Amino acid sequence: MAVTRAGLVYGVGALRAAARGDRMMWAVHRAALANGIIPVVPVGVIAEGYRTEARGDRLQSLLDGSEVEELGDDGARQAGELAARVGTTDLVAVEVAGAAARRNCAVIASRQNAMKEAAGLLGHELILYAV
Amino acid sequence: MVTKRSVSLADDVATAVETAAGEDGVSFSAWLSTAAERQLRVRQGLRGVAAWEAEAGALTAEEIAAGEALLARLLSGVSGMASRVRRR
Repeated sequence: MAVTRAGLVYGVGALRAAARGDRMMWAVHRAALANGIIPVVPVGVIAEGYRTEARGDRLQSLLDGSEVEELGDDGARQAGELAARVGTTDLVAVEVAGAAARRNCAVIASRQNAMKEAAGLLGHELILYAV
Repeated sequence: MVTKRSVSLADDVATAVETAAGEDGVSFSAWLSTAAERQLRVRQGLRGVAAWEAEAGALTAEEIAAGEALLARLLSGVSGMASRVRRR
Protein backbone atom coordinates (compact mmCIF):
# COMPACT_ATOMS: atom_id res chain seq x y z
CA MET A 1 0.00 0.00 0.00
CA ALA A 2 1.27 3.46 -0.83
CA VAL A 3 1.92 5.90 1.99
CA THR A 4 -0.50 8.81 1.80
CA ARG A 5 -0.08 10.27 5.28
CA ALA A 6 3.17 11.52 6.74
CA GLY A 7 2.54 10.84 10.41
CA LEU A 8 0.07 10.82 13.27
CA VAL A 9 -1.80 13.46 15.22
CA TYR A 10 -3.27 12.49 18.58
CA GLY A 11 -6.60 13.82 19.77
CA VAL A 12 -7.96 13.67 23.30
CA GLY A 13 -9.26 10.15 22.68
CA ALA A 14 -5.71 8.94 22.06
CA LEU A 15 -4.55 10.37 25.38
CA ARG A 16 -7.53 8.84 27.15
CA ALA A 17 -6.80 5.46 25.55
CA ALA A 18 -3.20 5.65 26.71
CA ALA A 19 -4.25 6.67 30.20
CA ARG A 20 -6.65 3.74 30.53
CA GLY A 21 -3.98 1.34 29.28
CA ASP A 22 -5.37 0.53 25.86
CA ARG A 23 -2.72 -1.85 24.56
CA MET A 24 -3.36 -1.14 20.87
CA MET A 25 -2.84 2.56 21.56
CA TRP A 26 0.52 1.85 23.13
CA ALA A 27 1.40 -0.62 20.37
CA VAL A 28 0.74 1.88 17.59
CA HIS A 29 2.60 4.59 19.52
CA ARG A 30 5.56 2.24 19.83
CA ALA A 31 5.31 1.39 16.12
CA ALA A 32 5.37 5.07 15.18
CA LEU A 33 8.48 5.75 17.23
CA ALA A 34 10.20 2.59 16.00
CA ASN A 35 9.65 3.89 12.47
CA GLY A 36 11.03 7.31 13.29
CA ILE A 37 7.62 8.96 13.38
CA ILE A 38 7.03 11.37 16.25
CA PRO A 39 3.28 11.80 16.81
CA VAL A 40 2.01 15.36 17.08
CA VAL A 41 -0.20 16.51 19.94
CA PRO A 42 -1.84 19.94 19.71
CA VAL A 43 -1.47 21.87 22.92
CA GLY A 44 -5.22 22.02 23.56
CA VAL A 45 -5.36 18.22 23.54
CA ILE A 46 -2.86 18.13 26.37
CA ALA A 47 -4.86 20.59 28.44
CA GLU A 48 -8.05 18.59 27.90
CA GLY A 49 -6.26 15.32 28.59
CA TYR A 50 -4.95 16.52 31.94
CA ARG A 51 -8.34 18.02 32.76
CA THR A 52 -10.12 14.70 32.41
CA GLU A 53 -7.57 11.98 33.14
CA ALA A 54 -6.17 11.05 36.54
CA ARG A 55 -3.26 9.05 35.12
CA GLY A 56 -0.97 11.97 34.46
CA ASP A 57 2.01 9.63 34.66
CA ARG A 58 0.77 7.65 31.66
CA LEU A 59 0.00 10.83 29.75
CA GLN A 60 3.52 12.03 30.42
CA SER A 61 4.98 8.73 29.20
CA LEU A 62 3.04 9.12 25.95
CA LEU A 63 3.98 12.78 25.58
CA ASP A 64 7.66 11.97 26.14
CA GLY A 65 7.61 10.60 22.61
CA SER A 66 5.42 13.25 21.03
CA GLU A 67 5.81 16.70 19.55
CA VAL A 68 3.65 19.34 21.13
CA GLU A 69 2.17 21.69 18.54
CA GLU A 70 1.78 25.19 19.89
CA LEU A 71 -1.18 27.24 18.74
CA GLY A 72 0.08 30.83 18.66
CA ASP A 73 -1.87 33.97 17.75
CA ASP A 74 -2.56 33.05 14.14
CA GLY A 75 -3.36 29.45 14.97
CA ALA A 76 -5.83 30.52 17.64
CA ARG A 77 -7.57 32.91 15.24
CA GLN A 78 -7.75 30.27 12.51
CA ALA A 79 -9.06 27.63 14.92
CA GLY A 80 -11.74 30.00 16.18
CA GLU A 81 -12.83 30.95 12.67
CA LEU A 82 -12.92 27.32 11.59
CA ALA A 83 -14.92 26.31 14.67
CA ALA A 84 -17.43 29.04 13.83
CA ARG A 85 -17.78 27.72 10.28
CA VAL A 86 -18.31 24.20 11.59
CA GLY A 87 -20.71 25.48 14.23
CA THR A 88 -18.96 23.77 17.12
CA THR A 89 -17.63 24.84 20.49
CA ASP A 90 -15.14 21.98 20.42
CA LEU A 91 -12.00 23.96 19.70
CA VAL A 92 -9.78 21.02 20.53
CA ALA A 93 -11.33 18.84 17.82
CA VAL A 94 -10.89 21.68 15.34
CA GLU A 95 -7.29 22.12 16.45
CA VAL A 96 -6.65 18.41 15.79
CA ALA A 97 -8.22 18.64 12.33
CA GLY A 98 -6.08 21.68 11.54
CA ALA A 99 -2.87 19.96 12.62
CA ALA A 100 -3.76 16.88 10.57
CA ALA A 101 -4.44 19.00 7.48
CA ARG A 102 -1.30 21.13 7.81
CA ARG A 103 0.96 18.13 8.36
CA ASN A 104 -0.89 15.63 6.17
CA CYS A 105 -1.26 13.25 9.08
CA ALA A 106 -3.68 10.52 10.09
CA VAL A 107 -5.49 11.00 13.40
CA ILE A 108 -6.05 8.82 16.44
CA ALA A 109 -8.93 10.20 18.46
CA SER A 110 -12.48 9.51 19.50
CA ARG A 111 -14.94 9.76 16.63
CA GLN A 112 -16.19 13.30 16.27
CA ASN A 113 -18.28 14.85 13.55
CA ALA A 114 -16.84 18.29 14.24
CA MET A 115 -13.33 17.05 13.52
CA LYS A 116 -14.40 15.48 10.25
CA GLU A 117 -16.31 18.57 9.18
CA ALA A 118 -13.40 20.85 10.04
CA ALA A 119 -11.00 18.69 8.05
CA GLY A 120 -13.41 18.74 5.12
CA LEU A 121 -13.58 22.52 5.17
CA LEU A 122 -9.79 22.53 5.00
CA GLY A 123 -9.91 20.23 1.97
CA HIS A 124 -8.37 17.38 3.92
CA GLU A 125 -9.80 13.87 4.05
CA LEU A 126 -9.72 12.81 7.69
CA ILE A 127 -8.05 9.43 8.14
CA LEU A 128 -9.11 8.43 11.63
CA TYR A 129 -8.53 5.52 13.95
CA ALA A 130 -11.36 5.92 16.42
CA VAL A 131 -10.51 4.80 19.94
CA MET B 1 22.74 28.78 23.76
CA VAL B 2 24.81 26.81 21.27
CA THR B 3 27.69 24.42 21.90
CA LYS B 4 30.29 24.07 19.21
CA ARG B 5 31.54 20.51 18.67
CA SER B 6 33.74 18.92 16.08
CA VAL B 7 32.14 15.81 14.61
CA SER B 8 33.28 13.35 11.97
CA LEU B 9 30.87 12.05 9.34
CA ALA B 10 31.30 9.53 6.56
CA ASP B 11 31.80 11.34 3.27
CA ASP B 12 28.55 10.11 1.75
CA VAL B 13 26.58 11.07 4.88
CA ALA B 14 28.10 14.55 4.94
CA THR B 15 27.25 15.03 1.27
CA ALA B 16 23.68 13.84 1.81
CA VAL B 17 23.25 16.14 4.82
CA GLU B 18 24.61 19.07 2.84
CA THR B 19 22.11 18.39 0.06
CA ALA B 20 19.22 17.94 2.47
CA ALA B 21 20.11 21.09 4.40
CA GLY B 22 20.20 23.05 1.16
CA GLU B 23 16.81 21.69 0.13
CA ASP B 24 15.36 22.56 3.52
CA GLY B 25 16.93 26.03 3.49
CA VAL B 26 18.84 25.57 6.75
CA SER B 27 22.49 25.35 7.66
CA PHE B 28 24.42 22.11 7.91
CA SER B 29 24.59 22.51 11.70
CA ALA B 30 20.90 23.30 12.05
CA TRP B 31 19.96 20.25 9.99
CA LEU B 32 22.15 17.97 12.09
CA SER B 33 20.81 19.50 15.29
CA THR B 34 17.20 18.90 14.22
CA ALA B 35 18.01 15.31 13.27
CA ALA B 36 19.65 14.71 16.64
CA GLU B 37 16.72 16.32 18.42
CA ARG B 38 14.30 13.96 16.64
CA GLN B 39 16.42 10.95 17.47
CA LEU B 40 16.52 11.96 21.12
CA ARG B 41 12.74 12.39 21.13
CA VAL B 42 12.27 8.90 19.68
CA ARG B 43 14.61 7.48 22.30
CA GLN B 44 12.78 9.30 25.09
CA GLY B 45 9.46 8.13 23.68
CA LEU B 46 10.51 4.49 23.61
CA ARG B 47 11.58 4.88 27.22
CA GLY B 48 8.07 6.17 27.91
CA VAL B 49 6.62 3.05 26.30
CA ALA B 50 8.96 0.93 28.42
CA ALA B 51 7.81 2.76 31.56
CA TRP B 52 4.18 1.92 30.73
CA GLU B 53 5.13 -1.70 29.94
CA ALA B 54 6.89 -2.00 33.29
CA GLU B 55 3.57 -1.28 34.94
CA ALA B 56 1.12 -2.92 32.52
CA GLY B 57 3.14 -5.80 31.12
CA ALA B 58 5.30 -5.90 28.03
CA LEU B 59 3.64 -5.75 24.65
CA THR B 60 3.64 -9.19 23.08
CA ALA B 61 5.04 -9.92 19.64
CA GLU B 62 1.46 -10.15 18.36
CA GLU B 63 0.53 -6.78 19.87
CA ILE B 64 3.65 -5.18 18.41
CA ALA B 65 2.80 -6.62 14.99
CA ALA B 66 -0.78 -5.35 15.34
CA GLY B 67 0.52 -1.88 16.16
CA GLU B 68 2.80 -1.94 13.12
CA ALA B 69 -0.09 -3.07 10.92
CA LEU B 70 -2.39 -0.35 12.25
CA LEU B 71 0.27 2.29 11.63
CA ALA B 72 0.76 1.02 8.08
CA ARG B 73 -2.98 1.17 7.43
CA LEU B 74 -3.29 4.72 8.76
CA LEU B 75 -0.32 5.95 6.74
CA SER B 76 -1.89 4.31 3.71
CA GLY B 77 -5.03 6.34 4.21
CA VAL B 78 -7.29 3.69 5.68
CA SER B 79 -9.52 4.71 8.59
CA GLY B 80 -10.58 2.27 11.28
CA MET B 81 -12.11 1.81 14.66
CA ALA B 82 -10.92 0.05 17.78
CA SER B 83 -12.67 -3.30 17.86
CA ARG B 84 -11.83 -4.10 21.44
CA VAL B 85 -10.25 -2.44 24.40
CA ARG B 86 -7.90 -4.27 26.70
CA ARG B 87 -6.95 -2.46 29.82
CA ARG B 88 -4.22 -2.92 32.37
